[in-house]
Amino acid sequence: MGVDLSTVDTLQAALTYHRERHTVLAGNVANLDTPGYRPVDLQRRSADEPGTMAVTHEGHLAAPAVSADFVTSFDDGGALQGADGNAVTLEREMSKIDANRARYATSAELLSRRFAMLRYAAGDGT
Amino acid sequence: MSSMDFFTAMEVSASGLSAQRTRMNIAAGNLANAQTTQAAGGGPYKRRDVILSAVDVPGAQGTPFAQQVKGVVVSQISQDAAPPRLEYDPGHPQANAQGYVAYPNINPVEEMVDMITASRAYEAGITTMTTAVNMAERALGIGR
Repeated sequence: MGVDLSTVDTLQAALTYHRERHTVLAGNVANLDTPGYRPVDLQRRSADEPGTMAVTHEGHLAAPAVSADFVTSFDDGGALQGADGNAVTLEREMSKIDANRARYATSAELLSRRFAMLRYAAGDGT
Repeated sequence: MSSMDFFTAMEVSASGLSAQRTRMNIAAGNLANAQTTQAAGGGPYKRRDVILSAVDVPGAQGTPFAQQVKGVVVSQISQDAAPPRLEYDPGHPQANAQGYVAYPNINPVEEMVDMITASRAYEAGITTMTTAVNMAERALGIGR
């Protein structure tokens, strides 16, 4: 039996997602005053989530069972829109950025602890 | 598959900071010239306006969300077409035949509001950039 590194892969995917999401959210903040700009956000769904890749027609092929998750982008403008067509709300973006940072830190911490456990197992138990 | 690194996020934030600084400079120029009756090219100073546009970020190209990540750029600095403010002052050397002097179409209150908005947006950009730096530093600590 080898070393189970699935936790590491999962956490790595989470870190990548939160990093990309930060970049997208930074773009929203940069375009705070750009006429016509609509904020974008990313969302992450697990591939085996019901309804994600459902077979809706008998002629369709079932999606292969992949553990990788889907990251999709969506328009997050909401109903608020200024006279210039810009739909960015600064408070909303800043709170999303901070929540995203906290989630990134959590994943990083969990990854650190997973490595610490592997180190402990590989060492002489001290 | 490549993905965007933190430098891309910082590149995006930097574009925002640069755009807001330009806005601040233009607003300051408008305020300074609120009483300029003789500008280059003749006539009173005309109010400048910054036009911002969303642009693709070089660092994000080739990544899955290259089209979603947008930086910002000052695409144009336009002159406000609003007519000058006329003030009756027959003794003024720039007064016209009717005794009116054409002053710039600048409202100092509007410029002050613009400066405050630009300043707040600049702060938000700094915060966003600092967050990217903190996240990158956090990543460096993994496995330590």
